[in-house]
Amino acid sequence: MSAPTTGTTGTTTGPHDGAGRTAPTPRRVVPAPTTESQPFWDGCARGELLMQRCGACGRWWFPPSNRCQHCWSDEVGWHRLSGRAEVYSFTVFHRAYAAELAAQLPYVVAVVTVEEGPRLITNVVGCDPDDVHVGMAVQVAFEPLAEGVSLHVFRPLTAAPPTPSA
Amino acid sequence: MYGRSAAIVGAAHSRLGEVPGSTAIGLMADAAVAAVADAGLTPADVDGIVVRGPDDEYAFQQQLGERLGLDAAFSTSLDNGGASQTLAVILASLAIEAGLATTVLCGYARNSWTRTRQTGSRRARMNQATHNRRREWRDSFGYFGEPATHALGAQRHMATYGTTKEHLGHVAVQVREHATRNPHAQMQTPLTMAEYLDARPVTSPFGVFDCSLRTDGAGAVVVTSLDRARDLPHNPVVVRGFGSQNNLRGWTVDDNMVRTAAQRSGERAYRIADVTAADIDTAQLYDCFTYMVLAQVEDYGFCPKGEGGEFIAGGALRLDGAIPTNTSGGQLSEGHVEGMLQVVEAVRQLRHEYPLDRQVPDARLALVSGHGGNTVCHTSLVLERA
Repeated sequence: MSAPTTGTTGTTTGPHDGAGRTAPTPRRVVPAPTTESQPFWDGCARGELLMQRCGACGRWWFPPSNRCQHCWSDEVGWHRLSGRAEVYSFTVFHRAYAAELAAQLPYVVAVVTVEEGPRLITNVVGCDPDDVHVGMAVQVAFEPLAEGVSLHVFRPLTAAPPTPSA
Repeated sequence: MYGRSAAIVGAAHSRLGEVPGSTAIGLMADAAVAAVADAGLTPADVDGIVVRGPDDEYAFQQQLGERLGLDAAFSTSLDNGGASQTLAVILASLAIEAGLATTVLCGYARNSWTRTRQTGSRRARMNQATHNRRREWRDSFGYFGEPATHALGAQRHMATYGTTKEHLGHVAVQVREHATRNPHAQMQTPLTMAEYLDARPVTSPFGVFDCSLRTDGAGAVVVTSLDRARDLPHNPVVVRGFGSQNNLRGWTVDDNMVRTAAQRSGERAYRIADVTAADIDTAQLYDCFTYMVLAQVEDYGFCPKGEGGEFIAGGALRLDGAIPTNTSGGQLSEGHVEGMLQVVEAVRQLRHEYPLDRQVPDARLALVSGHGGNTVCHTSLVLERA
């Protein structure tokens, strides 16, 4: 059995570049948006969680696309979500698949169902990993990753405002 | 409707485990040559190749044809991940029945151990083969590796049905028991429940013994017409039926990670083969993780949905159990060759090749499954001793 990745403190370094220098590795991979997903990431940078909803049939989908997943219409519109979601499932990482992740262990990767319907992959932060459970109510938060780039993560929903039934 | 006119006549695997300096195509050639010899055929008999190699190797079937000096009437490489290897047998059977080819070589090869030695980190390898979309929507969250994907399913199954960590442990322990009788298996020492529960955690609820092995290895089978098969050395193994289901909208959609594509794939396979779950004598299931065995015994109807944990805890997977499963040790204990060894093991069980301590008594019908392609593609085979 191999030992888990070590190096939980100090700086980590990335692969050598062509000139033989090493570059610092960011704590997280910074996503590279596509033309289709750019509005989503622009929303995150503003602190807004956006998804696409069909102008023809009114249904939501994720990840971003140029057509409605349900009725194939190209009447695609971006809309702001409530930010509330429920944990559908989760897993706690105890193993670092990259050196820079070692310092974050253990961390929670979750699938959450947003109030509007679609599911997305995220982290649940702001609580002990042992306290995360299926069905847990969570609320979006944004973590700055780089200049102009923020990542959508979820925290336990505290002081929940009354949720009016739709 | 498929006329059940194809049969598997040759089956083999290469060296398994850590094979220093190996290449995937080299291992593929080893298994292919052995499978053709096992079939009692010659290179000139082979006019079809349906194979798969590592995801970053383009046109693996062309590489194999070049290496073995074969042209082919019918040939392709497949892209359904771990569901490809059973799909290869389906395509071969259809091609033979349709008259596109007479004798088709099916196989898969990987050199995961050797690659890890050569390229270092898992991350470096993963990034090479990783889909851009996955990079955008997973990597920033530290979501790497397939254990997490299946762990999400296991966790949801636990919350839904009360499945426990011990239930998953029974899969690992019983499959290991089979491997202790397989001289080719990578893991031949028995595994106790205590050792299972003490194992280093990976991604909850999985520890290392919930995960399949890293393997250099290849497997291959030869499919031909049943008419021709009757003249060959081994008792033919008829491709009696097959099915597939591809939940292309994703693993996280609906309840796909709990009620997997195996369910509908299995229904189709049973219908085409005209059998029921109760008729199956042995199952060779795609066991990338313990959870997938638990989910599949339910999805294939060996027990009701949600009761897989208790069913397996009762010894179901053992040689004398309700459904002897992964009797070679599977990918958890024999070696992870992406489902190809499951096909090879089913053939050997149906030929009654094994000593009594490893043979499923009077095995007549075997179910083989493949699962993969971002966890949404599933393929099933029903094989029958002629």
